[in-house]
Amino acid sequence: METSILNRLNKTAAAYADKVMFRDETAEITFRDFNRLTKSVGTYLAQRVASGAPVAVMSGRHCLTPACFLGAVRAGCFYAPMDGDMPKARLNQILGVIKADYILVDKAHLETAQSLDYTGNIIVFEDICGTEPDEALLEARERTLQCTSPLYVIFTSGSTGVPKGVITSHQSLMTYIDAVAKVLDINDTDTMGNQSPLDYIAAVRDMYFPISFGASTYIIPKNEFAVPTTLFETLNREKITALCWSVAGVELPAKLGAFDVGKPEYLKKLCFSGSVMPCKYLKVWQEHLPDVLYVNQYGPTEATASCTYYVVKEKVTDDTVLPIGTAYDNYRVSLLSEDNQAVPVGEIGEICVSGPILALGYYGNPEQTAKSFMQNPLNDNYRELIYKTGDLGRFDADGVLHFHGRKDRQIKHLGHRIELGEIEETAKKVDGVSDCCSLYYKEKATLYLFYTGEATSKDIVLYFRQNMPAFMVPRKLINLEALPTLPNGKLDMQALKAYFK
Amino acid sequence: MDELMQILEELRPDVDFENETALITNGVLDSFDIVALVGELNDAFDIEIKPNNLVPENFNSAKAMMALIEELQDE
Repeated sequence: METSILNRLNKTAAAYADKVMFRDETAEITFRDFNRLTKSVGTYLAQRVASGAPVAVMSGRHCLTPACFLGAVRAGCFYAPMDGDMPKARLNQILGVIKADYILVDKAHLETAQSLDYTGNIIVFEDICGTEPDEALLEARERTLQCTSPLYVIFTSGSTGVPKGVITSHQSLMTYIDAVAKVLDINDTDTMGNQSPLDYIAAVRDMYFPISFGASTYIIPKNEFAVPTTLFETLNREKITALCWSVAGVELPAKLGAFDVGKPEYLKKLCFSGSVMPCKYLKVWQEHLPDVLYVNQYGPTEATASCTYYVVKEKVTDDTVLPIGTAYDNYRVSLLSEDNQAVPVGEIGEICVSGPILALGYYGNPEQTAKSFMQNPLNDNYRELIYKTGDLGRFDADGVLHFHGRKDRQIKHLGHRIELGEIEETAKKVDGVSDCCSLYYKEKATLYLFYTGEATSKDIVLYFRQNMPAFMVPRKLINLEALPTLPNGKLDMQALKAYFK
Repeated sequence: MDELMQILEELRPDVDFENETALITNGVLDSFDIVALVGELNDAFDIEIKPNNLVPENFNSAKAMMALIEELQDE
């Protein structure tokens, strides 16, 4: 049995030494060079950091960033990726949770790192990437890893206003990667087209398919998604065969008419996840690319990216609602009622997940961890942790799972998971905001903020832009005399929804 | 132009649209800004922005956007 992801990297680095592993707009790196970089970074870190410690990584959208991540792993550490484009306040929050003694940055992010309230050590990748690998030290560090050791910590929105760091182990990641690769039939002939930011959970396939199976990944420049005229040309130039994109990313070319000017000629598989797919856009893809394998994926970061999948066999129409399907290998998915009882077939319950893919919890947050990861209430006989997703689902007679929305106020916006409570907590920090309520207008994918007080909408948006990731900035702000309430004193959300347009 | 500036101001009040000339090239506007913007411009100016109009040069500045709008209105 594999002890860590390094077992895989060691093998693929030897088997595919001269093959290109990662490519971006300006550079490319072979398996051999990639492996060597991880060893240089790993040696430098291992000489300074204890095994099992976190290493924060802030590096751009280019092919050296995965080498920074795996370099930390070579040192027996785990990495916490950070998006340097996020506002400083958010980066400080993340560093406050992860408390890493070392942050590894590329040169382009040195200034950002220096401007943070960070008192630890800043290492610049370009300065240390020539470090002579110390094979004995690296081997010793590799032996400190077990498959249950943490591999990375990825941050996600938390309803209290502080982001939560979800910890994923080597075993969980490898279990997921193997399961999804089996469904998509990923092998060393595949070239992935990476859309997701590299610090985000959705990028794990684009990084770990090469490491696990010898596939290649092209990191698509961010601008290609802003002006998608050349997006398909790029996919064709790079001979991209497989895409694992957010639903928002798949919608984009269909919405902006990119198929009118071309299509991805080499594409064989398209896997999408992150939110519910509006089938009027998937229909456009199917019409132009009828032979592509389309897979709908569902699942939270806490269960290692995804837990169920559905292979789209039917020709979809505008009104098709895709099921979320069946559990991946080694994932167990069950439903629980409000009072923690089993739910009969055909009825709606909360989707719960168990198996070796469960996260190790939220970093430095035992209370939240205990609340979300609990003993399966249906099992009195042995220890079996489940993660309650907060999502509602229903099994049909064929055992296929269907999605029925959220239990709470978490939403999916542009592929990102957001707690509306966090938007409200943030807005309340703005001078001149007395009270507020945030709602999501799903049909138009627009985040609304209703508020009372003297603040102008500009004041609020500017505050958000300085403190929150771009996808968490409300698009429509509506100033009210008072927030409407129901006779029982609760907020009247229906009255607020009347403002949607 | 006033109408355009109002739309832009509402979309991204943190951006200096008067002076910025590399909105796309420098990544000031992201893909989600563009999707929202294309929808609003189509509605407000009764035009249809086509995929081949979606090149950086047409969206790098407010002035360039105005030129595109006028060009499409003439068609």
